[in-house]
Amino acid sequence: MEHFFLNIAHSLIVWLMGLGLSSKGADLVLLIVQWICIVAIVTINVIVLIWLERKVAGFMQQRLGPNRLGPAGMFQTIADAIKLLTKEDIIPSAADRIIFRTAPIFFIIIAVMLYVVLPMGDGMQIVDLNVGVFYFISVASLSTICLLMAGWGSNNKWSLLGAMRSVAQMISYEIPLAFSLLGVIMIAGSLSLSDIVAAQNNIWFIILQPVAFITFFIAATAELNRGPFDMPEAEQELTAGAYTEYTGMRWALFFLAEYTNLVAVSALASTMFLGGWHGPWLPSWIWIIIKTYLVMLIFMWMKWTFPRIRMDHLMSFSWKVLIPVTLANILVTGAGIQFLAGMGW
Amino acid sequence: MKGQGLLKGLYITLKRAVGKDITIQYPEQMPYLQDRFRGCLHFDYTKCIVCGLCTKACPNNVLSYESRQVEGSKKKELVSYTIDLQYCLFCNLCVEACPTNTLYFTHDFELSRYQRDQIKIVYEIPKEEPSAVKVDLKGDAPEPDETKKEKQLAAMTAALQKNPQKTVRKMVENDEDAEILAGILLEDEQKLSRMAALMIADREKAKKVAVAFVNKEKKDRLKGGGAEDESK
Repeated sequence: MEHFFLNIAHSLIVWLMGLGLSSKGADLVLLIVQWICIVAIVTINVIVLIWLERKVAGFMQQRLGPNRLGPAGMFQTIADAIKLLTKEDIIPSAADRIIFRTAPIFFIIIAVMLYVVLPMGDGMQIVDLNVGVFYFISVASLSTICLLMAGWGSNNKWSLLGAMRSVAQMISYEIPLAFSLLGVIMIAGSLSLSDIVAAQNNIWFIILQPVAFITFFIAATAELNRGPFDMPEAEQELTAGAYTEYTGMRWALFFLAEYTNLVAVSALASTMFLGGWHGPWLPSWIWIIIKTYLVMLIFMWMKWTFPRIRMDHLMSFSWKVLIPVTLANILVTGAGIQFLAGMGW
Repeated sequence: MKGQGLLKGLYITLKRAVGKDITIQYPEQMPYLQDRFRGCLHFDYTKCIVCGLCTKACPNNVLSYESRQVEGSKKKELVSYTIDLQYCLFCNLCVEACPTNTLYFTHDFELSRYQRDQIKIVYEIPKEEPSAVKVDLKGDAPEPDETKKEKQLAAMTAALQKNPQKTVRKMVENDEDAEILAGILLEDEQKLSRMAALMIADREKAKKVAVAFVNKEKKDRLKGGGAEDESK
């Protein structure tokens, strides 16, 4: 079971080479297959996640959540997806059509790009970049531009306001997000995600870097535009922020991308802090799924517990609390590493 | 300590998530209703004494009824009772006003209907089996109708006798004709009563008859005049 997917990939390459393909050609075909797998996993995950989110929200509010369609309401999301697909596609007449149309596409592409570096099991990594963490953070921050595109392209003041907010928020929280990961990188001594996982063979980094984990979690929540930091959407203030003018599948793409980002960031959190795919008895890829879903459940728990934070509080929290705390964490980590190195570790 | 509230909130939501849900799966699972719950208004017609207090108490004119006098007594009996529930605000005033507990609220809250006219609740009171006495009374019933007609006829006859020109003026074309007709009617008692009956029963027919009378009289007069002239 451990090498189930690896064996499939290996036999695929062997079969392709047997058909007369060069090894580079076989790798290319494998890459395409992997890409398709990512998109499929992402889509299925989103369907499950939306159902899970509704269930969690329902349970936390002493409701039952969806329970009519299918077992425990599982098919509710599928019905919603069909509804969204059949909806009328409205583009406002005053909108900047090219930007309006491309914004959701770029958003989902960027969200899928994050999966390239995530180790989904022992050796199950599409590309093992030696700057994996750096790649992840930089690509994740690109989604800000898509939100701004959506807000600007809609030609609607609420959309633009929502987009502006999200840009301000994401830029502010990118810094503590990166800083909180720095402590882990310093201990592991590598930016490669597989090296970081390997470094957690004995002890998880959440134990060595608890402050970093908490700050990372908060900053990631803000990065994901999830409650209580869902200022860009803020239904009660901005109708739907940057997504106001979007209908049907375009809107669904934004939704899809948000949940895709959620999975990616949760996977990153489990990779960086929770030991990645390390775990006893079960295969590695099941462990990463379990850990990712646990982190996502905590995200949902937070979303459905806390009220939305005010915009100025949000900004001042990032600049006045998170950044100093993460900087202090880096300082303490660095000092500790030097001290332990001096002790002869 | 700062942040305590956040942990408290997380604890409460976790407790709620793990604890029992309060949702009732309505169509399959009916909610528990208190005794004083005000559902659909119910009317128990066997108890009603047709006092009308409920209709007076209702602020929205939801309640209305039709009644008739019980023959040979001062009592009223109900013909139908209507509750126009779309205007009811479930204020309980009619229930309080009713001296015989005829009106009360049930626990039925499923009041939606597919058609607007289905909202009205109409109680048609079934007629009791008519007893022998009542049948007799019914047989005599047309009497008041008859007397009314007779009264009308008498009034008309009196009017024709007293002021014939004015009474018949509308039946003919001009005042002269009216005077002629009045003369004819005053001369002939039988014609007068017949005209009176016709005027009550059928105006158009009465007009035709009146014109015929006048024309005949005119002809007679012309003939008579001619004869007189001839005799001269």
